[in-house]
Amino acid sequence: MKYSALLVAAGVLSAGTAFAQQAPIKIGAMYPLTGGGAVYGVPAMAGHQLAVEELNAKGGIMGRKIESIERDDKMNPSAASSTMKELITKDKADIIVGGLSSAVGLAMSEVSKQEKVVYISTIPKTIQMTTDKLHKYVFRTASNTDLEGDTMAMLAGKNKLGKICHLQLDYAYGNDLEAGILKALPKYAPDAKVVLTLKPKLGATDFNPFIPQVMAAGCDGVLSGLWGPHFVSWVKQAAPLGFFNKIKWISGGEIGSHEIAGELKAEYPDNVISNTYELWYTANDPSHAAFQAKLAKKLGTQETPQWAVLGYIGVMYTAAAMEKAKSTDPDKVAEALEGLTIGTPVGKLTIDAKTHQANIGQFWGPMVKKPDRAYRMMEPAEYIQPK
Amino acid sequence: MPQRRHLIASAIIVLLLALVPLAGSRYAVDLTTEVMIYALFALSLNVLIGFTGNISFGHAAYFAIGGYACAILLTTYGWPLALALPAAVVLAGLVAAVVGYFCVRLTQIYFAMLTLAFAMLVWGVAFKWKEVTGGDDGFTGIKMPAMIAHHVGYFYFTLIVVAAGIAALWVICHSAFGLTLVAIRENSQRAGFIGVDTRHMRWAAFTVAGTFGGLAGALFGMYHRGMYIENAFWTESAQVLIMVLLGGIYSFIGPIIGAAVLHLLQTFTNQYTPYWPTVLGLILLVIVMVLPDGLIGLARRVKARRGRS
Repeated sequence: MKYSALLVAAGVLSAGTAFAQQAPIKIGAMYPLTGGGAVYGVPAMAGHQLAVEELNAKGGIMGRKIESIERDDKMNPSAASSTMKELITKDKADIIVGGLSSAVGLAMSEVSKQEKVVYISTIPKTIQMTTDKLHKYVFRTASNTDLEGDTMAMLAGKNKLGKICHLQLDYAYGNDLEAGILKALPKYAPDAKVVLTLKPKLGATDFNPFIPQVMAAGCDGVLSGLWGPHFVSWVKQAAPLGFFNKIKWISGGEIGSHEIAGELKAEYPDNVISNTYELWYTANDPSHAAFQAKLAKKLGTQETPQWAVLGYIGVMYTAAAMEKAKSTDPDKVAEALEGLTIGTPVGKLTIDAKTHQANIGQFWGPMVKKPDRAYRMMEPAEYIQPK
Repeated sequence: MPQRRHLIASAIIVLLLALVPLAGSRYAVDLTTEVMIYALFALSLNVLIGFTGNISFGHAAYFAIGGYACAILLTTYGWPLALALPAAVVLAGLVAAVVGYFCVRLTQIYFAMLTLAFAMLVWGVAFKWKEVTGGDDGFTGIKMPAMIAHHVGYFYFTLIVVAAGIAALWVICHSAFGLTLVAIRENSQRAGFIGVDTRHMRWAAFTVAGTFGGLAGALFGMYHRGMYIENAFWTESAQVLIMVLLGGIYSFIGPIIGAAVLHLLQTFTNQYTPYWPTVLGLILLVIVMVLPDGLIGLARRVKARRGRS
């Protein structure tokens, strides 16, 4: 009896030391934490940290603790490229997650290709990453401009738009989204005609030259990619002219998120149909409630931002792939990611083995007034997921 | 002629740098490569600032032209490096010559503003000419010759090119031409009176600066395997300007020191906090208030004080 107890004790001890001796798994995370992109990067990093904390509380990955090394990507591709190299060569990161702008995403993908380290792109949407510039080590758990464009074209058909005004920001995301929409438009709305295409500049704040043109074009709907502050400025300048009274505004760029609804509050116009990755008040998966509660606690607000879930999913995919590969070897992890299905707060996701693109969907719906709220909410919010 | 001790010191530095890869740290190799590229970039700008006394706010333009041209020639057109690199450098020099032709008609703040305007034009072209430059997605996936595709190979390649570039700049700056530039900096009117065609000389200096800036850019693009419009933005011009000021404009090696210190400081700061711009602001404040002639100036003052006591 005594002897066996000793054995058990010895076993526990040695297991304990084995756990302690095993080096942690290092995840490098890069989001914009300063400057204009911080509004998105900071919540995404919070989601990332939440996932790391959760996993570490359960014993980490394969029994090894996770060490998260977090850096500012500065929304600058060459700075991000240097920082990512540093994470790999100096900090010996096993995998890299993150990015926000398309250029930074492509730059990070390039480093991952050179260094043969897996990179999971959690926010950048540029279609090139999973088409022309696809390689073994890059994966995307965000949506992309083709998926977003496809859904917008579908909504244009569903809302029976005949004459369409097309509004896109004149930079990579806007141009790619435009291509995505135009590709899908004949499929869903064969009779629809684009009567006007306008491309304001990225970062534009004055839309007065554009608003009358759209109003005079006689379109019954606008397909827009004006995200965040662009949409807010457009609304402030166009709504007083009665712009939104007749025109349906179908928009990508996640202006259906609570962040935008909360910012515009009563000023948020009618007739807007848009998207968001996640809504704190709507779920399409039972695990969402627990996720949202933890996030709310971490951020100290019930009305949590949608970006957090993207950072969260990046870490969850990392963990699942390493567990499946039983290794942190980049080649094995990359193979494990191909075709990998995991449960997330927004439902089950699968990464396509060929395109390396996860079939993440988005909530789409009209933004409606609520009597008991100061801000609009998406209702009904339909989760549209690519097949 | 360079003094013997300078030659020996330079040879020792190059030799020491050549030993860096033997330490076995990949990170040290990468970091040293970056520092060498920035050193050449800063040094090229100092031909204008320190030697000629013209402050350019648009030096990133030539850096970007060199980088983009080399990247595009290597990748899109499949040129060999032996052709692509010289072509990119020549192109950067040519653009600098054209821009310089207009800029040297002005002096002081007007000169600085015009260089800035042309640089933003270059940025605009890189941004809008999506088919060629990749627009704001950047130009990634640069094809590299196998010989320098490995990071150690690239390190030695950079070391050789940068050393040759610095040697060439040294010769230029210490030639009769370089001394004429200093005369223009000290008193351009007086230089004119003794028969120097100041406008032509400043134009030549502008072209030299752009050419070597282009060389640094080409090295930079290949190192990152990508060029991005941010590399042509005015913030990049400001960064290299600060490197030059930090090192000290009245010394040949000042900008090299400035580039090394600023880049390393930025790299290490980023490991602890994202607030690099705050640190940069403080550095700038110190330069302006305490170190008008940079770190080299500080070193000289310390030495002089020691000599007195």
